[in-house]
Amino acid sequence: MSDNSAVMGTNSPIPGEVIAPEKTKGRAGVFIRKFSKQKMPLLAAFFVILLFLIAIFGPFLTPYNPDEPNYDALMQGPSGAHWAGTDEYGRDILSRLIDGTRLTLAVSLSSVLIAGVLGTILGLVSGYYGGWLDRIIMRGSDVLFSFPDLLLAIGIVAILGPGLSNVVIAVAVFGTPSFARIIRSVTLSAKETLFVEAARSMGAKNRRIIWRHIFPETVPSIIVNLSMKIGGAILAAASLSFLGMGAKPTEPDWGAMLSMGRDYLSIAPHIVYFPGLAIFLTVLAFNLVGDGLRDALDPKMKN
Amino acid sequence: MGRYALQRLLGVIPLLFIVSVLVFLFIHLIPGDPARLIAGKDATLEEIHGIQEQLGLNLPLWKQYINYMGDLLSGNLGNSIRSGIPVTDMLESRIMPTLWLTFLSMAWALVIGLLIGVISAVYRNKWPDHLGTLTAISGMSIPGFWLGLVLIQIFSVELGWFPTGGVDSWKSYILPSITLGMGIMSMLARYSRSSMLETLREDYIRTGRAKGLREYVVISRHALRNSLIQVVTVAGLQFGFLLGGSVMVETVFSIPGLGRLLVDSILFRDYTVIQALLLLFSTQFILINLIVDLLYGVLNPKIRFSQ
Amino acid sequence: MKAKGKVWSMFMLLLITVVMTAGCGNKASNEGQGGNTAGGTETSTPTTKNDKDIVIAINANFITLDPHNASDTHSISAARTMYEGLMGFDENMNVVPVLSASHSISEDGLVYTFTLQENVKFQDGTDFNAEAVKVNIARIQDEKNNLRLRKSFAKVAKVETPDAKTVVITLSEPYNAFLNKVAMAPIISPKALTENGADISKMPVGTGPFKFKEWVQGDRLVVEKNTDYWQKDLPKVDSITFRPVPENGSRIAMLKTGEADFIYPMPTEQVSEVEGLEGITVDTIDSTIVRYVTLNTMKKPFDDVKVRQAINYAINKDAYIKVVKSGLGAKLDSTMSSKTQYYSQQTGYDYDIEKAKQLLAEAGYPDGFETEVWGENESETMKGMQFIQQQLALVGIKVEVKSMEGGTLSDQINAAKTPEEAKIQMWYVSWSPSSGDADGATRGLFSSEMFPPAGSNTAYYKNENVDKWIAEANKAVDPEAAKSIYANIQKTVWEDAPWAFMGVDQIISGKRSYLEGVKVFPDGSINVLNAEVK
Repeated sequence: MSDNSAVMGTNSPIPGEVIAPEKTKGRAGVFIRKFSKQKMPLLAAFFVILLFLIAIFGPFLTPYNPDEPNYDALMQGPSGAHWAGTDEYGRDILSRLIDGTRLTLAVSLSSVLIAGVLGTILGLVSGYYGGWLDRIIMRGSDVLFSFPDLLLAIGIVAILGPGLSNVVIAVAVFGTPSFARIIRSVTLSAKETLFVEAARSMGAKNRRIIWRHIFPETVPSIIVNLSMKIGGAILAAASLSFLGMGAKPTEPDWGAMLSMGRDYLSIAPHIVYFPGLAIFLTVLAFNLVGDGLRDALDPKMKN
Repeated sequence: MGRYALQRLLGVIPLLFIVSVLVFLFIHLIPGDPARLIAGKDATLEEIHGIQEQLGLNLPLWKQYINYMGDLLSGNLGNSIRSGIPVTDMLESRIMPTLWLTFLSMAWALVIGLLIGVISAVYRNKWPDHLGTLTAISGMSIPGFWLGLVLIQIFSVELGWFPTGGVDSWKSYILPSITLGMGIMSMLARYSRSSMLETLREDYIRTGRAKGLREYVVISRHALRNSLIQVVTVAGLQFGFLLGGSVMVETVFSIPGLGRLLVDSILFRDYTVIQALLLLFSTQFILINLIVDLLYGVLNPKIRFSQ
Repeated sequence: MKAKGKVWSMFMLLLITVVMTAGCGNKASNEGQGGNTAGGTETSTPTTKNDKDIVIAINANFITLDPHNASDTHSISAARTMYEGLMGFDENMNVVPVLSASHSISEDGLVYTFTLQENVKFQDGTDFNAEAVKVNIARIQDEKNNLRLRKSFAKVAKVETPDAKTVVITLSEPYNAFLNKVAMAPIISPKALTENGADISKMPVGTGPFKFKEWVQGDRLVVEKNTDYWQKDLPKVDSITFRPVPENGSRIAMLKTGEADFIYPMPTEQVSEVEGLEGITVDTIDSTIVRYVTLNTMKKPFDDVKVRQAINYAINKDAYIKVVKSGLGAKLDSTMSSKTQYYSQQTGYDYDIEKAKQLLAEAGYPDGFETEVWGENESETMKGMQFIQQQLALVGIKVEVKSMEGGTLSDQINAAKTPEEAKIQMWYVSWSPSSGDADGATRGLFSSEMFPPAGSNTAYYKNENVDKWIAEANKAVDPEAAKSIYANIQKTVWEDAPWAFMGVDQIISGKRSYLEGVKVFPDGSINVLNAEVK
């Protein structure tokens, strides 16, 4: 849904997302200690790990063949044989959810990673070099920002055609500008630090300064934003599938399952409830982890 | 300040121009021939060509763009190519439901979001904070279309408390605005929490406490006031996103607003209507951004404009 | 302390906004209660109705109220509440006289003479007469107007009005579907046509039982009783409000809560749920809408008739109706529905997976093959495509499901200028002849002149006999002769199997039990002439 996924495309209003550079020494240790102190994010992190395990070992875990229809067992409610019931073709919903975990994670991770890489490069370039490059990149992101993001995604998919790979592109495109802005502002402040000045005065090349000195400073921001945006990406992809513009209907994509099942909402609500719940819990886990990461990595949040 | 405002205002013009070109290209890149969709399945080729001619769709793209810009600059949004109704009439009849929906969603999201944020900040790391955080993060994790469907099933069908859709009375707006405002509420809660925390660390708050002011006075009179500016600013920025979100919510709840008009128009490749809507959305979005930016400068002189 | 003042004003602004929205909310509530009571949300659903204002919820917007330019079923339904034609349809799609008291056709099939009903007035008070009919046909035929109905009247050579109640139409060649076309052409008041010009599509004036009240794009169309209607004691309700409600679940909920008195279409999935509920009645009739998969007969492996027949044997149509149609539908046993003119039933292609495998082996595909099926991305079509994929997998045919948005799909299909360029392999789609005539259910689909982009023969089916018969059938003046020609066509096409013949939709509507007389016709149009609240 765009009102939620909208959050990921915003001008990053939560101040903690831009993390000011601090000394790198001992940061990892401090981070792990801080992160593991938080109960909810820790729990969520375990859930995320579980999801990855399910994604990897999915085919061995499914109690039934997720694609095999059984026209004699249509839309059965949850039972001992089918924990999450069966769908409109008599397929086991739990098996389809397990099988679909991989799709969900693959789509959201790859789109966020693409957005992250592109956004980081653009942000570094824009912040470090400034001038006309900066202006072009920032105007470009203004233009992208001036469309509500779900509309942008709908438009991109409408042009490219449906299919999960195009969903990845669409979600990556509208995720890029906010990454670029955040990384740009970190770069701007990192540029002013003493050791960058020093490196520059010693005649180091720009590319080397960016890579060796500035990029490491942006890493915490990148990590936090990556984790914060995965949830939004899952929601955006699900919205597109819900609109019939994402996954093929035969694929066990959670959004597509929800979309196909919604006609049965009032007679067999479990067909809609379980995929929705799966999306909700997964997004929740990623958001909680992101939140915990931000608290642990943000120096301003120290007592 | 005045010069800065003027500069920003002038900066909007090229941006709008680029947006208009993009919108135009974008629409014509989407595969699908409106003439064929208007003519229907059993149309003859001759009929389809007739419609193309009538609508000027047979002209080269650059000519179509010039016609479109010419009309636009003279304030004419044209007629819907599907129904022949003037686009301005269509927008007029569809705008109110969308405005109501976005305002109501924003209103409750702002109030509840602030409340959760402030409580979380005041009781930092205690159970109200954890509860608030969990509520907020849950809110932004729910797929909106799913929430809408579930709300209809429970509150309209099972309990019969609210209508399932439409815009017949104020009751019709309750479920949709809950659905639409959920994400924004969560975001505002998160934002006001961190903004409050930041303010609470400021010197003058510490001074106030040291002077022996009671805690609720410190919070309500001093800290809240300060973070309120930022929260309201952020809320303003979200209006544009609410408009985007209205697309899905209006579909699920059958609200005859701009969002649904957009979906219908895309379906039928009603170019003139899509163009008008996208321009409207992006213009209001750019303007809100601008206003918020300027207000922010007025309200908070500490902010230095980098340009 | 300047900043402080600003902070407060900001806060006040917020407060005012909140109070204002709350205040306006109340105002809206008063309006809601004072105005339309249809928005009520009584927990107990109403079983009686006090007023005679009925609400009909449908699944899409009206596109236009210009009856000569409407191509979608809903716009046609709307037009028929306010307009009438010389002829019309009954609930079995037979052509019956309406504004014409009687008619005769010359023996050569060229001259149609209509004698008009007398004492019929348009809603603006002007007389309905022969001149009005002539003006309307002229409007339809005018190339400049580019109206959807124009092609239906392409064969009209001249229109004469010997007197005020007689219209003589002469055709350039015999056309036995002409009466169906006449039934599709409502008559607009000539006065309104001159006065309103292009705005006639927003301000309809006809002779129908209801007259136009208001049309709020996307929200509602309201028509009210025409108190001077020429048929005695009709209509029996005061007004009808049509509400477009695209979401299936919302439409059904409106019926349950009584917000709507009649809904169409009723989602097949939910029929079992509301059937038997107190106060709700579900009506089902067979439609003229057929569902099928076109198989591109010019592309391998579908160029082999054995492969096409194998596919027909491999799909379990009973299961199709059970799973995809929730049990509400009929098997397609010809190229057209039983409700279409000159339908002739065919037999064969009973579910037989062994026979399918055997035919595939004979054709040289013992292990099946890979292919793709196209279809629109709306949920019912996607459901059907998934089912086809599951069924064909059992005989080794691997089908990739490609769902596309309607506009994109139409581009994909029509991009091919010649059969050789066509990429289409299988297309799961539906068809309904707009005026219930056999020509409309045959020519566009099976004539070799109708390959895309000229027509909808997406199977690229070419059979010289069928081509010849289609041309002959149109000119056959004797209905019996036409019938036997169409029987030949149906038999030949059935054996050649350019389609996987799937099913015939049922028209399913739901209503509150106190409402009578609202009927959905087999073509999906809603008829409200006899609507009555009991």
